[in-house]
Amino acid sequence: MKRRRFLAGGCACGAGLIPGLVFGQSDWSAPARFARPDAATDEGGLWAMMDREESRLRRSPFTLRDAQFQAYIQDIACRLGGEHCPDIRVHVMRTPFFNASMAPNGMMQVWTGLLLRVENEAQLAAVLGHEIGHYLSRHSIERLRQARSNSAAAQIMGLFGVVGLVGQLGVAASMMAYSRDHEREADRIGLLLMHKAGYATDEAAKVWRDLQLELKERPDGGSRNPLFSTHPAPEDRQQELAALAATFQGGETNAAEWQKRVQPFLRDWLVEEVKRGQHEETIALLTRLAHDIPSRPEYLVARGETYRLRGASEDLDKALADYKMALAVEGVPAEAYRGLGMIQRLRDQPAEARTNLLRYLELAPQAPDAGMIKSYVEELKS
Amino acid sequence: MRKLLVVFALVALSGCATVNKMESGNQNIGERMTLTLEGAWNHVALPNQGPGQTWTMEGLPVDTLLIYSGLKDGEAIHRPGAGGQKSFNFRATMQPDEIVGLFEGFLALDGSQFQLTKLEPATFGGEKGFHFEYQLVRKLDGVTLSGMGYGTVSKRELFALVYQAPRLTFFSRHKDRVEQIARSARVKT
Repeated sequence: MKRRRFLAGGCACGAGLIPGLVFGQSDWSAPARFARPDAATDEGGLWAMMDREESRLRRSPFTLRDAQFQAYIQDIACRLGGEHCPDIRVHVMRTPFFNASMAPNGMMQVWTGLLLRVENEAQLAAVLGHEIGHYLSRHSIERLRQARSNSAAAQIMGLFGVVGLVGQLGVAASMMAYSRDHEREADRIGLLLMHKAGYATDEAAKVWRDLQLELKERPDGGSRNPLFSTHPAPEDRQQELAALAATFQGGETNAAEWQKRVQPFLRDWLVEEVKRGQHEETIALLTRLAHDIPSRPEYLVARGETYRLRGASEDLDKALADYKMALAVEGVPAEAYRGLGMIQRLRDQPAEARTNLLRYLELAPQAPDAGMIKSYVEELKS
Repeated sequence: MRKLLVVFALVALSGCATVNKMESGNQNIGERMTLTLEGAWNHVALPNQGPGQTWTMEGLPVDTLLIYSGLKDGEAIHRPGAGGQKSFNFRATMQPDEIVGLFEGFLALDGSQFQLTKLEPATFGGEKGFHFEYQLVRKLDGVTLSGMGYGTVSKRELFALVYQAPRLTFFSRHKDRVEQIARSARVKT
């Protein structure tokens, strides 16, 4: 099983993106499509391992099985990949962390934690373009050869050790961090691919800025994040990316289309985000999303839930405010009524609590906690 | 590679863990809880394990029964550092859904999918408490586990049992036995 993690890391990882730096490759052109390497070579062996990993992914219960959405993400990758499109296969995985990776055989993984965090197609394209940049430059093969020359076993076991500790933002980058030069090259290529595909390249720096906002809320201020130890300072990288993007003009974000496409999954992804229990990061994330996309009450309700579960001083007041704000927007999730009712119950407001809990049961009669909520309603009657 | 890692894991565990047989009959768990067992269990003591006891019938990691007896306000439900960036700490004022959320967050820390399927009031330890059921798809290997738990807060301390095992075969094999243990629980007031 650990091999799988190595393999996942052997894919081009780096969702954590994004260094920037001197952009001097506007004359860069994509290589021709890669032929399958001879199975007797190291590259052929790596492809074979990745093929097995991909077979496992196809069967995995973590794969998001929605053909339409899958095709939509695949199409974005194809727009970026150009003539390499037939070789790129995107797998959307239900995992609430920020990550995307790409293997040398063309297998790309995108985790739902990343999809929750990007606000438009262009931001996703920034991450996918970066991964395709690693793929086109065959960085993972270079890494494999470098690892072999430097006592591969020791490195691989070391990587496993790190992996066992994480499961957090930027997990992949910690497993198989590319060299700074590789990251810079992938950035340059990623931005070029974005531009050629018609995306607004200035969105790339925003992905990094937004990720930073979350990481800074960690108890350690993000200082223990492997991304920070193996890459340039995040502020520098954000600035460098913005400077690089300024050399391009125009481009679309396709925000409306993106938000329409993710809407059916939003509630599930938010529930999984709140469940992580990393309340400070989640509050930073949801504060940004609620501000940038005010038409979606789901973000407010999820932030209210996070405040309620954290339960620090004044958190219940903040949760109440979020639930009430959400109720003013059309299409509010049932959890808003449950949250309100739970807090009112604690605050000895039985009539209001009962009304809201009943409303929750009305809207979500099959909810797994219905039994518990019904008992509260009974208790509040007396 | 897989075999090699399994060997490493076994060597590591054999050097560190101790297993004691928990015999049938009454067992004191901590200072305030007793359980009555109908049949023996294995109590696995791992170094730096944290506040809960770990029992198993089939062996770890096939099935796991976590037992908490008297977890105090502010204490984490796991060993120090095992919660990742942040600890999952019990608060005495927590509602049942919040306590379940602690277990949920901790068990899904590695990206495993936790799906709550039932949360309802129940008596546990002779006190007013709660019962919950869930499915967990393990990130590590994609195996689906079934799980259930009971809990209560007494004198600002948490008492709880959480059992999980692969959905196929193992969970149903031991579910009744765990239910019996939960029914037998008594918390000294």
